[in-house]
Order: sequence, then structure tokens, then C-alpha cells
Amino acid sequence: MDKDFKPNIVGFLCNWCSYAGADLAGSNKLEIKPFLSVVKVMCSSRVNSNLVLTSFLWGADGVLIAGCHPGDCHYEKGNYYARRRFALLKKIMESLNLEPQRLQLSWVSASEGKRYAEVVNKFAEDITKIGPSPFRKNQNL
Amino acid sequence: MTATENIKIEKPPKGASIPAKEGIKKAILGVFKKALETEALDAIMIPVKVPETESYAWVLLKDTTLLENADPLPPVMTIQGGKVLSDLTKHGKINKNIAAVLRPCETRAAVELFKLKQLHFENITLISIDCPGAIPLSEYLAEPEKSKKSFDNVLDKWDGDDAVRKVCQICYRFSLPTLTNAPASDLHIGLSGNTKDDVLLIPVTPKGEKILERLDLKADSSLQKWETKIKEIKKIKSQRRKKFNHDFKANISGPEKFTAVFDGCINCHNCQSVCPICYCQQCYFDSATTKLSSEDYFRRAKERGALRFPLDTILFHLGRMSHMALSCVSCGACEDACPMSISVSQVFSLVGEQTQQAFNYTPGINREESLALQDYLEDEFCEVETPSECEPTNSNEVKENV
Repeated sequence: MDKDFKPNIVGFLCNWCSYAGADLAGSNKLEIKPFLSVVKVMCSSRVNSNLVLTSFLWGADGVLIAGCHPGDCHYEKGNYYARRRFALLKKIMESLNLEPQRLQLSWVSASEGKRYAEVVNKFAEDITKIGPSPFRKNQNL
Repeated sequence: MTATENIKIEKPPKGASIPAKEGIKKAILGVFKKALETEALDAIMIPVKVPETESYAWVLLKDTTLLENADPLPPVMTIQGGKVLSDLTKHGKINKNIAAVLRPCETRAAVELFKLKQLHFENITLISIDCPGAIPLSEYLAEPEKSKKSFDNVLDKWDGDDAVRKVCQICYRFSLPTLTNAPASDLHIGLSGNTKDDVLLIPVTPKGEKILERLDLKADSSLQKWETKIKEIKKIKSQRRKKFNHDFKANISGPEKFTAVFDGCINCHNCQSVCPICYCQQCYFDSATTKLSSEDYFRRAKERGALRFPLDTILFHLGRMSHMALSCVSCGACEDACPMSISVSQVFSLVGEQTQQAFNYTPGINREESLALQDYLEDEFCEVETPSECEPTNSNEVKENV
């Protein structure tokens, strides 16, 4: 494991739950590893495969999609669709062995600042262990 | 309607046996000729050999003399039939009573396009036909006579010969289930397993029955022999598929190997434009959204040390995969259209199979089934969540190979 390796993780956070959760984690001064570049989306179902794939192919070491818990979606059922799309993408990565562990879906509500910190820190730790994405330096893309 | 009810409830399904003394294709065309003459059908959509070259085109025909050059099962699949049917009916139902003669993968593509609201089935009788595969288009065009012979040979033996395309060699959906409760086609033509002297016309829906009725054909022959043979071939091909996909996966998976597969891609997007499932008027990957400023590209070049053109070929293939893998019918049109001979269809077929299994979804078999991404259950796929919370369901249960 490269000690100096600082992973570059893209986090798609839903406006109503996870982004607010991240905000709460900040207000509570919880320690969060500084590897996550946050992209605010209105709903986790806004995240389509192109956003995730572009992130990876441009060299992201990990992609985190976070939204409201199932049943709590601001748009009632957006996160159910998001979960299906996520499952499809994950399965594609699995079937081609494209390091599916670099892609994660987590539910974090607006009141779960602590959970947000835990999810991000754990994911950052996992990605640090896996190491840099093979797409980072791949000139063949 | 008593005949319908009998088939649906009491007796095992039966088919009409058509004598084929002069070959099965002649026999089938004879039926179509009669259907046009008696006006049981207004027109038929069928592959016809084009006059100048050895190629085939789809023709919607009423004139029975054109049937002379028609071929219900041509040695190649030049154009995906599902796409053709979608072109005809995209903007609404047709008022003529027509039939379309399609291979099983074309039929299934048509059903997927129907679910995608790109095709109307009103007044269309779908006639599917058992298919031994198709010869790779490039090989056929290089040596048409030789290819025709090897195709006849495959049609004779019915056991995945090397002459047909790779996806055809490992295709276990070369026939369609004739279950009346989940019909894909209206009328199925059973070939394999019969003696060469007859062809089975198996009605699946009332539409199919009506055609037979109009032609004075009685569905009174047992399907048992045909079904047994289909099962046998299916078993052989499924095993072959399993083995092939296992080895193939080892060769192409992983970030390095996967990008190497598409190394030769010239970004022509032929695979997308011939794909029956890729129906979008404008493909996202052709749109300006994917084109960036030179500054962005220079930043990318700097990070990698070099930048390869054409840009974003891997993004295109992976992105297209995420758009259509669940509906992929493994028809192989993409690979036939690839000028660089990349094994596109084999990759897509592998990914299609694995994703479809995960979603317990079989594309193109059931018209009533909703598309996998347009539907959801409240408790499912909890295994993809981190941390996982819901109780695991049977979403991974593999559907019976219909």
C-alpha cells in the first residue's frame, strides 16, 4: 500500500438527505477524510450511468452515491429507481471484473451526520487499501 | 373460439404439419403465397434476396411473384428484423393485416421494442422460426456460395456448427416457447427435430390460429418429437454457452484486458446504429454533451502522459452497455457491423446474460412483463447497499431458461 496515496473519490449526494447529512456532520465538527469531492444532485436517481462511468474513466478512484433511505425519498420513489440503476451498473462492473468495489451506494438521512462521517471514512479507507484506479494512467481510453 | 380454449386449457399444444417434399423453405413460402392469394394477409414482411448482389433486404410485399426470391431463413442476418418492424410501426398502429417473419432473436427484439413503446403490434402477426444461426456477414459476402452450402449443412444438422457466428453457436434461444400464456410470437414455425419432409406451424395466439383457420390448416400434429429435439439441442448449446462464457470472461475481464478488447475501435458507432435495442433518436454518445473543451483534454493528456484518439471509446461501449444490456437479445448484429472485427456481441451477450440473471429478467419473452428499469420492489437488491439493511430477497434467483 502506497502511504502517500490520496484517493480521489467522487460523491453524488442527494439534496434532501445525504447532502444535509454531510452538512450536519460538518456542523457537529465530525472528522471526515478529505478525499471526497461532493457533487450535489436533487435525487439519487439523477445519477445516471454516464456520470459514474465518466468519473471512473477520468480517473476517480471511487464513486459514492448517497441518498435518502428507501421509503423516505423526497420524490417518493426516486431512490428505488436509483437502486435498480446502481445494481445494474454494479453487475456490469462485476461481470467484467472492473473492480466493482470502487462503486458504493449508501443511504444517509439528513439527521445522520454521524453515519455520513462513518460511511465516507470507511469508504475512503477501503479505497486507499485498493489503491489507485487502473484507469488513472491508462492511455488507452 | 373452442379451438383456442382447447389449446389454452385442456390439450397439449399442437401444430399444423406442412409437407415439405421440395425443401422446407419452399413449403413455408407456399403457405405465405396461399395466405396472400386468399387475402388471409394483406402483405408479408420477409427477407428477400436483392437482385444485384448476394445480400438480403427486408421487403414488405403483396405481389406473390416477389416471394420467389424471398427466404424465411436467409443464411445471414443483414438487418435486424425487430428494428425493421419498429421502423414501420413506430408512429402508430397500421391498418393493414400483415405478417412479419422473424428469427427468434428478432422476435424478441421486437417484443423489447414494443415494451419501449417503439413498435405497435396491432394487426401484425409475428411469425417466428427456429433458427440454426447465421453466417458472419463478412464471411458470407467474401464467399457466398461456400457460405450458403455451410448454412444448409447447419440447417441439416441443427447442432451449432463452426460456420455460424459465435453468438449463434452458443445461442440456446434458437426457438421460442409456444406457451399461450406468455406469447412472444403469434405463430411459430418449428423446423428442428422434424423429418425433412415436413414443417410445423404452431399457433400460439388467437391471431396465429386465425391465420391457420383462413388457410384451412388444422393444428392436429403432435409437437412431442419437435419439443424433445429442441430440448436436446438446448441442452447441448447451454452447456457450450456456459463453457464458452467462462473462458471468454477470463480472457476479456479486468480493466486492462477489457480496454484491450476495444483497442481497435474506430468509434464509428456502427454497433449502436444497427442495435435493435438502441432506439434513441439521438444517442447520448453522439451528442455535444460528451465533447469537451481542448483545455479539458489537455489536462487529461497531462495526467496520463498522452491522450489517445478517438476519445471516449470505452465510455461509449460501457455506457451503451448500461443502457441496453438488460434488453440485449444477443442477436449479434453489432458484431456483424463492426469493421474492426471486435467481438462486441460476445462481450455484450456475456454482460447481458449476467445482468439479466441478476434482475431475473428475460428480454423479449413476455410482452406483459415490464422493463427492468421501469419497475422496482421496495425490498430488493439490499446486497448492493452499504451498509446493507433490508432482508435479502430472491432477486438473484435464476429464471428457468425459456
